[in-house]
Amino acid sequence: MKELAIELKDVSVSYLHNKRGIYSIKDFILKGGLFSPFEHKKVLNDINLKIYKGESLGIVGRNGEGKSTLLRTIAGIIIPDKGTCKVSIEISPLLALGAGLELELTGLENIKIYMAISGRYDKNTIKDLIDNVSEFSELSMEQLKMPLKMYSTGMLARLAFSTVMTTQPELLMIDEVLAVGDKGFQEKCKKRIHQVKDAGATVIFVSHNPDEVKEVCERGICLKNGHIICDGTSEDAGKEYNNLFI
Amino acid sequence: MGSKTYLIYFLIYKNLQLKYKHSMLGFVWSFLHPLFYLLVFNFVFSKAFSNIPHYSLFILSALIFWVYFSGSCSQLSLTFIRNSHLIKSLNVRKLLYPLSEQGTELVSFLAGFLLFIFLMIYLGMPINLNLLYIIPIIILFSAFTFSVGLLLGSLNVFFRDIGILWNTLNPALFYLSPIAYSLDIIPQQYLFYFKLNPLYHFFFIIRNVLYEGIAPSFIQSIYCIIITMVSFLLAILVYRKTRNGFISNL
Repeated sequence: MKELAIELKDVSVSYLHNKRGIYSIKDFILKGGLFSPFEHKKVLNDINLKIYKGESLGIVGRNGEGKSTLLRTIAGIIIPDKGTCKVSIEISPLLALGAGLELELTGLENIKIYMAISGRYDKNTIKDLIDNVSEFSELSMEQLKMPLKMYSTGMLARLAFSTVMTTQPELLMIDEVLAVGDKGFQEKCKKRIHQVKDAGATVIFVSHNPDEVKEVCERGICLKNGHIICDGTSEDAGKEYNNLFI
Repeated sequence: MGSKTYLIYFLIYKNLQLKYKHSMLGFVWSFLHPLFYLLVFNFVFSKAFSNIPHYSLFILSALIFWVYFSGSCSQLSLTFIRNSHLIKSLNVRKLLYPLSEQGTELVSFLAGFLLFIFLMIYLGMPINLNLLYIIPIIILFSAFTFSVGLLLGSLNVFFRDIGILWNTLNPALFYLSPIAYSLDIIPQQYLFYFKLNPLYHFFFIIRNVLYEGIAPSFIQSIYCIIITMVSFLLAILVYRKTRNGFISNL
């Protein structure tokens, strides 16, 4: 019997969206927005999803179909309007491009802030962790001491990925971070994801590349218009995704 | 220390870093900024208000708190917007961001305040045990400032003109608050409106302590406590009402 890690029941998420592009009080009055200037735009529609412990789930779908919103809902950042989202394992911060990074600060400072935010900060282990991050990301100490605004996109992805990975998360959520790394690093990341998976972690992986999803995940879902249109093996989801473009 | 305390500590550290990263004088600015105002006011108004003894001290005692107030409010009004990348990717209580912002402002206020104590002594500040009253006053004033800032910050997410409006009204509020003048010069019929300004009551008890060297007036202290409580409840209410909409509007 597999243990349930995440359960979404009839989850609907809508964004409070500014009708007619009203972002200032001037527009608010001129465009007659007095009667409810905001409208709800549905992003996720009655999502039912069960994810078991140790499972690896790939999410594919076109841009703007609700992939990142789904991740954020699972991470507890977005509270659904309807339905429930139960997570019974420890969530680590979302791994998305540039998420949670402060460009003015150095890499080292960002690692420390990340540790504090994820509740893993400990004076004794921080040094080891930094060494691990440096080793895995192949960023030298000199580079880690530079402010992030001097980093390239690939270096940012390396830093973010390595920082999250060295903490041995129970639930790993990856939102298209691999896409920007170079080939060598991508391979390294995939290997590391498999290691984390073997250690018992649950992995949710968002990507545009069905082949990558196939490589990393066993199970896959495909999102369209906020609905799950396919839930099966990662290969099925990949096929469904490719069909979207025919 | 819990990891939440660490987080606040790091956010404050981060804010301070960002604030003074590219400035050579760094912390000293929290001292220089009010000092500059003081010099200008002294120059412009000292003849007009020659009936106020120790006029420099009179201005300074309220001025440093004004700078703290207006600085905090404009920082806090942007706090959710500036931290949007964190809000979108981390599941931590959003209230931590304005809290750490207020903490940052408090740290730089206190650093400046310590220097100003020497200047105020030089300008004739009475030194006695009543000075200790300034500690609870600073705490109360910080809570009030935080409330105003949180209110602005929450609304600013939805309408960016709240921040602009605040910066526009800021100078007006400055001149309508009794900082460089005392309420004695205000005609009787307008006095009521001046007293509607919450800052008036705070400056009253601050001057009691720092300028007159007496214990803060009981009735004015009660006013300040009520003002703080009401604004705090209002701010929390608005924050709770709006916080779930932050993500879609950031």
